[in-house]
Amino acid sequence: MWERLNNWLEVRIGVDDLIRSQVTEYRVPKNINIFYTFGFVAAVGYLIQVLSGIMLLIYYVPHPDHAFRSVQDIMLKVPYGWLFRQMHVMGSNLMIAAIGLHMLTVFAMGNYKRPRELTWVGGALLFSVTIAFGFSGYLLPWTQLSYWATTVVTSIPTAVPVVGDFVARVLRGGEQVTGATLSRFFAFHVSILPPLFLLLAGFHLFLVKRIGISATPFGLPAEEKRPWTEYHKKSHVDGYPYYPRFFQMDMLMVMVYLAVMFFLITFLPNIFFPADATIPADPFKTPVSVRPEWYLLAQYQLLKIIPNKFFGIIIQLVLFTLFLLWPFFDTEKEKNIMKRPMLRVLFLFAFILWVILMFWGRS
Amino acid sequence: MRYLVLSLMMIVSLPSFAAAGYQEDFAREFLSKTWMGERIEENACIDCHSSEQMKPSFRDIPDEWKKSWHAQNNISCNDCHGGDPKDPSVSMTHQRGFVGAPAPRQIPEFCGKCHIGILKNYLESGHGKALRSTGKGPHCVVCHGSHNIQRANIEIINEQRCTKCHSYERAKVMKQALFLVEKKAGEIEDGIKALRRAGIYPAEQERALFNTEVEFRTLFHTVDVSLVNERTDEFTRKLGAIEKDIQDTFIELRSRRNFSAFLMMLFIGMGITIYLLHQTKDK
Repeated sequence: MWERLNNWLEVRIGVDDLIRSQVTEYRVPKNINIFYTFGFVAAVGYLIQVLSGIMLLIYYVPHPDHAFRSVQDIMLKVPYGWLFRQMHVMGSNLMIAAIGLHMLTVFAMGNYKRPRELTWVGGALLFSVTIAFGFSGYLLPWTQLSYWATTVVTSIPTAVPVVGDFVARVLRGGEQVTGATLSRFFAFHVSILPPLFLLLAGFHLFLVKRIGISATPFGLPAEEKRPWTEYHKKSHVDGYPYYPRFFQMDMLMVMVYLAVMFFLITFLPNIFFPADATIPADPFKTPVSVRPEWYLLAQYQLLKIIPNKFFGIIIQLVLFTLFLLWPFFDTEKEKNIMKRPMLRVLFLFAFILWVILMFWGRS
Repeated sequence: MRYLVLSLMMIVSLPSFAAAGYQEDFAREFLSKTWMGERIEENACIDCHSSEQMKPSFRDIPDEWKKSWHAQNNISCNDCHGGDPKDPSVSMTHQRGFVGAPAPRQIPEFCGKCHIGILKNYLESGHGKALRSTGKGPHCVVCHGSHNIQRANIEIINEQRCTKCHSYERAKVMKQALFLVEKKAGEIEDGIKALRRAGIYPAEQERALFNTEVEFRTLFHTVDVSLVNERTDEFTRKLGAIEKDIQDTFIELRSRRNFSAFLMMLFIGMGITIYLLHQTKDK
């Protein structure tokens, strides 16, 4: 039966050839390391989000009168609803962490450099879309925490002269965070961001396949530094086949990802559910402290400590532009960060500053 | 090219320096103001009663109210006294439904606008009948106070208060019945708090506890010792059912934790297997 099905597919779409060219004979650099697996881990993370999200979608009601109740029903009454919600919540944070680590290691290994500038831009946009997923999904349970965090974040554009109020109104669907905001965020979360993510992921993967995987600059000689005048695919003919060697590394890291996810669900189930996350939204009662999720805490704190808010927003936009277009600003040919002390200091400074701002924003 | 982009970014950010001080109120309040705090600030009752022009005996009322159980539950001045807190010029007019402070005889009806069940039982009780016939019986304020009204608790019944009018014997028996139920209710409340800490919103248990407590306290206002004794078991059973429900939820949470730990171990095991397989291939 299986053989007949295999034959049926083989003569039509050439499955064997596809597996040979894309998996068993697809070669990766010999000195590839474990850090190259984060992209695959993030892709699996996205798949988990999609599957758990679909399960939640069956029971979730995007209406201010029912949203909180429906989420509580998912947690208490729907069989294994708690598991899917916990996987979705933990997964959203872990996925941001996985993409963040992926970008961090790509940065440290200089793999964003020519000819992979567009691959970096695609990845940075994917990272931004993932954060937008997190932010839009944050409001959906309609809790005190999510309501007021959204009120604060949607207030940010109002610091921009002329267009600020208009932007805030468009985000909220009115003057305040209401049912209209919930509808907008829900639509954004489930029908606009997923295709956008897939489009960007397709673009990113296309470039990875088309340009070829970049070799690590550590240990072995870095990639050639000849002038780039024509398209040249890096095929690593002397490298290892992707399957089974690197596939095993990918799967090992996926297991680590899942083990961390279930470690958090088991031992720290409320790590992303503080007290205000179990109280229904009340527009007439402002909680004592309002703060966004950990991945937005540094930006939030930066905005808080800069006295002029418009200036604060401009700083954030400049930093985002630098992050997005970094390969075009850093045109130095040397990939190895260990041979670039200035970049190393800048990288460490930015990272430490981010950590400090994050903890400061939390306190 | 990159220098051009960097220069453009600098130029774009320049207006922000120029706009320093832009929207000062916004800058001051941004990210720290309590968005809905205006609700209290706009209250004409509180503004007037807190002002220097107010009689000293009336000036403490807002502070007393702010500490009350009513304030914690968003019950404001106009919810009891009527009137319009939004418009100081007409806030105390009859057209806006202002009723002011009630006479002692009117107090039960005044509070009973919201506490309907309690009013009925109170009016049928010895206390209610005494107030109606003599105008001197104990009313709501005698036991619960007026503006700094706290959540009802067992200490309201005490020898000092009750013996002002009659012996303490019957009140003592009622206090004992109340003690058992209140103790159980307190344990359930702790359980509900623990559920909240575990990330569960125990709405059903909270509602059941609230209804049972209200029903029991309503019954209490009959001051009928035999009736209270007769029905105490019934309320204890009801509270027992809520307690069991909370315990069941904790058992469910434990089983979830075990299941999740099992999945964690499964993935760790699979990870170790893949790692060993990877090492074997390397050799």
